[in-house]
Parts: sequence; structure tokens; C-alpha cells
Amino acid sequence: MSVVQLKNVTKRFGSFTAVSEATFSLNKGEILSLLGPSGCGKTTTLRMIAGFEEPSEGDVLIADINMRNKRPYERNVGLLFQDYALFPHLSVNQNVAYGLKRRNYDRGQIDHRVGEMLDLVKLDGFEQRRPSQLSGGQQQRVALARALATNPEVVLLDEPLSALDAKLRQELRIELKQILSAVGASTIIVTHDQEEAMSLGDRLVVMSEGRIVQQGPPTEIYKNPRTKFVAEFIGRSNWLRGVLGPADRNNLCSFEVAEGLTLLVPKPEFDASTYEVCIRPERIRVGNANSTDGATNVNQLSGTVQNVAHLGADIHIVMELASGYRFTISEQFIGQSMDEYQGSLECTFFPSDCIVVAADS
Amino acid sequence: MLQRYIDHFGAWAVVGTILLTVTFLIAPIIVSILMSFDARSYLGRFPPTEFSFHWYARFFSDSYYLTGLKTSLIIAVIAASVSTCAGVCAAIVLDRYDFPGKQALETIFLSPLVIPAVVVGFSLLLFFALLGVFQGYPRLLAGHIIITFPYAVRTTLAGLTGIRRNLTEAAMTLGANERQAFWDVTFPLARTGMVAGAVFAFAFSMDDVAVSLFLTSPQTYTLPVAMVSMMRTNFDLTIAAASVILMLFTIGLIIILDVIVGLERVIGGGVYRS
Repeated sequence: MSVVQLKNVTKRFGSFTAVSEATFSLNKGEILSLLGPSGCGKTTTLRMIAGFEEPSEGDVLIADINMRNKRPYERNVGLLFQDYALFPHLSVNQNVAYGLKRRNYDRGQIDHRVGEMLDLVKLDGFEQRRPSQLSGGQQQRVALARALATNPEVVLLDEPLSALDAKLRQELRIELKQILSAVGASTIIVTHDQEEAMSLGDRLVVMSEGRIVQQGPPTEIYKNPRTKFVAEFIGRSNWLRGVLGPADRNNLCSFEVAEGLTLLVPKPEFDASTYEVCIRPERIRVGNANSTDGATNVNQLSGTVQNVAHLGADIHIVMELASGYRFTISEQFIGQSMDEYQGSLECTFFPSDCIVVAADS
Repeated sequence: MLQRYIDHFGAWAVVGTILLTVTFLIAPIIVSILMSFDARSYLGRFPPTEFSFHWYARFFSDSYYLTGLKTSLIIAVIAASVSTCAGVCAAIVLDRYDFPGKQALETIFLSPLVIPAVVVGFSLLLFFALLGVFQGYPRLLAGHIIITFPYAVRTTLAGLTGIRRNLTEAAMTLGANERQAFWDVTFPLARTGMVAGAVFAFAFSMDDVAVSLFLTSPQTYTLPVAMVSMMRTNFDLTIAAASVILMLFTIGLIIILDVIVGLERVIGGGVYRS
């Protein structure tokens, strides 16, 4: 059952189209990440679901009811603001109780529910504090408790972790996911951070310039990005432009990039005038063809090492091919010496690791 | 090396200037406070040799001063109330809504701050003569509302600007309609600015001379005007006592303000930050 449905939603501000024909739905208990670079229309989409903006065209449905002309307070939507928007003149207790009070819960219910929510976000004992007396992470948890208190149909999170520093962000990401699944909240997370989107979301909706470019489970989108934009936005990638040959009986095509640089790639399921191929750095293995356990149809490249960066768990190697192309290879650090990555280097990757997309021309 | 000497000199110059300023701000006030307690019955040399309250006794038995004080208080209370209410409304409109001519309106609302009070007083005198109004109260009241109104707008506006609009939006997603969101969130947060505006309005009304001088009638005059005219006709230290009393009202108000909302917050523009 879908909790939220957007049907061909378009939003224009004057002559500028912020969102164009967005269609997607959120299932009950699901966490959906709305991902895209800043200015792609994801926040406008969120604000239309919350009721701060009216769609110029199309419909927003919450629990199968059309929300046209319904004010924010006539919808049951929980919204976690990017800067939390806690009421500075109210205590933690009063902040969490505010929605319950406005939705006419009685005294006993309010006290019970507030206690329950503060328990959930592990902030019992902080009831009488003011927001200014809390750390950034604690403020966020109060805001989350406040948004969840009224049992909203859908919870909207606007860049929930962007105001926190990197280390805290990782911790809170896990905590946030636990809290959301504990209450079974149907959630839409708006973010420009692909790691955040992938780790929190059961499903991703990728937006670019007001349009939805792809939606699906995170792994699916990472493995099979449909456009160059999606592939570049989610994860790191090496790009090659070339000429696609006919398919052989294994459904593999030759892909000629340059003189002496021809790859085997899977046959694309679409037609385009020019193609580009993307290979993820972590799918490339250092070593020659003999190290692939006798597998056939392996792409093999050789070149010289330009730069080696040891980033902790990962090692990034930049290799230059004879044809001048540069490749980034990502290897796991398992105690090996960096001396292995010196001078000339050979590497391999399977045709199935090549992602073929239509070139942006 | 030379650079360091110049820096040192600069630092001392700043300290010196501050000390000089403080001295000139405080010293005359201390002189008049001390002189108001002078036991001598004539205007003697500073410092007083003995102290007594007889100038105060004289002040409180002089019906001329008392009438002035009473008028001042009435005018100040009414003018501060009216300009605070009007100022708050104006500030809310200026802060929350966008409309053509908003800039111009804001400038007009704040213009009495830059127009010399003497000009305001004189213009009002002519204007009221044109209307045929010659009674003191309506004229004084109008003048005082005009000069105190900008302070109310100013401080309320400062208070409102600090309130991020997403607080209202947060209240609305939690079930509050626009009116409830205003009373639950915007009003309590802007209250500091409003109270500050009211206090400033009261204080400015209490000690205004320039506007009042033009608008008094023989029966209706404010305390500062009474002091000015006494200075011309009958100069004695009752005026010092009157100044101290006038000062007490303002200082008293500031203390009350500090207790209720905290002075720092008010001077800082009444802006809340989380």
C-alpha cells in the first residue's frame, strides 16, 4: 500500500520549472531517499508533500487522499528540518509535546507519549533543558522525537545529517535508521549525499534539473545506472568513449576506445548514436590475466603508475595507459606494501563490470 | 620596533578616549545628584558641605512641578502604549509580507528618528493650529506618539528578524494554523523586542523637551518643560532634585526590564538564537 503518491507533479516559480512531472510513490514502512545535487528540485518536492507549496500541475496523495488545497496543519506529516527548527523558548518536553497539544491529545496521553518518544531517542533526563543547552546531535534527536510524536502518516527528513560533523554523522546515520525502523515510519529523506541516501534508503529516487532520472533499490542503481549523470553522481567511475561493435554469441560487444585499446562490454539494451563505458574503480583488480582463475573474456590493461594514495582502508592508484587514458583503481588495504604499485602495472576487469550508457553527446 | 611603539600608542589612545568619555558622561550627573542633596538654602559652590532632602521637599510641595510630573507620566504611559501597539503591527507587516512600496513605508515609519525633534514640534504646532486644536493633551500626545513610534517599530523589527521562518513552518506541520503559530512561536520570541520598544518609548517620552516645548499650553506642560521654564525664571536646586527624580523613573524601568527579560538581550536587539 502506498502512503504517499506523486502523480505527474510539476512546480513552476514564474518561468522557472523547479520540478517537472515527478511521479513516484512511497510504500508503508519504507524509507525512500530523494537524491540529487543542490537545485535539482528535491527540496521543492518535499515542501509540496508537506504542504508549503502547491503543485502547479499534478497531484500529491497522502493515504490515498488528494492533498490539493490542504494546508500543512490539515495533513499528518512529520518534518525534520535541516537546522531542526526547535522552538528556542520551549523546553525539550514542551517541544515534543507541541504537536500533541495542537492535535488535541489529552494531558495524560501527551505525558505518556512524550516520555515514550524521549525514551526512543535516548534523551530521558533532558526533559527540562532548552534547545540551546543541547549538542547538535541531541537537538536533532529532539527534532526527530517531535516529528514522530504525532504518529505522522509520513516522515520527511530534509538533509538530516548535513549540519553535523563527519564522525557524528556516521554514528547518527545508524541510530536514525534504527529509530525509523523501530517505529515503522514511512519516510522520505532528501539529501545530496549519496552515502547517506544509500545507507538509509530502501529505495532511491535520483533527481536532476527537476526531473526524476532513475528510481530503484540502491544496489540496483549503483550497478545499473541508466545515464551518465546517475553513474557519476553515485560512486566513483572511470569513463571511456568509443565505438560499439556487433554482439557475439555471449552477448558481448567489442568497444574500441582507441588504437590498441578495445574492451569487451555487455550488449546494451538500448540504441544510441554514441556510447560511453563506465568502470567502477573497485571492480578493477591489479594483476595479469593468469590471476583470474582461467576465466575467458577478461579485459586486460597495462600502463604505468602515476600516483598512489593510501587512504586507510582503501588505496587509490592512478594508472596511465599507453593510449594516454587515465584509470583510477581502488584496492583494499590488506597489509600489502605500496611498493607493489610502482612502475608498470597490469590490471583486469570483467565485461560484466563495464556499464554502457548513452553518451551525453 | 617602531610598529610596536605605534601599536602601544594606539592602544593607550583608545583607553584614554574611553576614560575621557566615561568621565564626561558620568561626572556631570554625579555633580547634579550631589547638589540635589545640598543642605544650603542657596545655590552654593560644589561640593555641598552638608546634606539634606529639603530640595526634594520643595519639589514635592511645588504644585507647578507636580503638575508637570503628572502630565509627563500620563503622556508617557499613553504614548508608549499606543506607539508600541502600532509599532508592533507595523513591524509584523514589514517583516512577514512583501508588497510594493514596502521599502518606502519602512523609511517613512523610521523617519522621525532622523528628522530633528524641533522640526517635528514646530510642524505639529502649525498643523494643529490649522485643525483648530489648541488643548495641550491631544497636541502633546500626538507629538510624543510620533517621536516614540520609530523606536517601537525598530526594536520589534529587530526581534522579528531574528526568528527564522521555519519555526513557523515547524509549528504548522505539527498542527498549528497560521494564527496559532503566531501566538505560540512568533509572539513569545518577539516579546523581548516589544517590551524593549515600550520601555524606550516611555523613556524618550519622559525626557523629551524639543517637541513638547512647542506643544504645551499654559495648563498642560511636561516635567522637562517645567524645568526649562523654572531655569529661566527661578533658578535653584529644585531643578537638580527634579532631574534626579526624572532619572529614577528611567533607571527604575531599565532595572525592571533587566529583571524581566535581561538587559543584554534587549540591547542586543531582542534576537533569540537557539
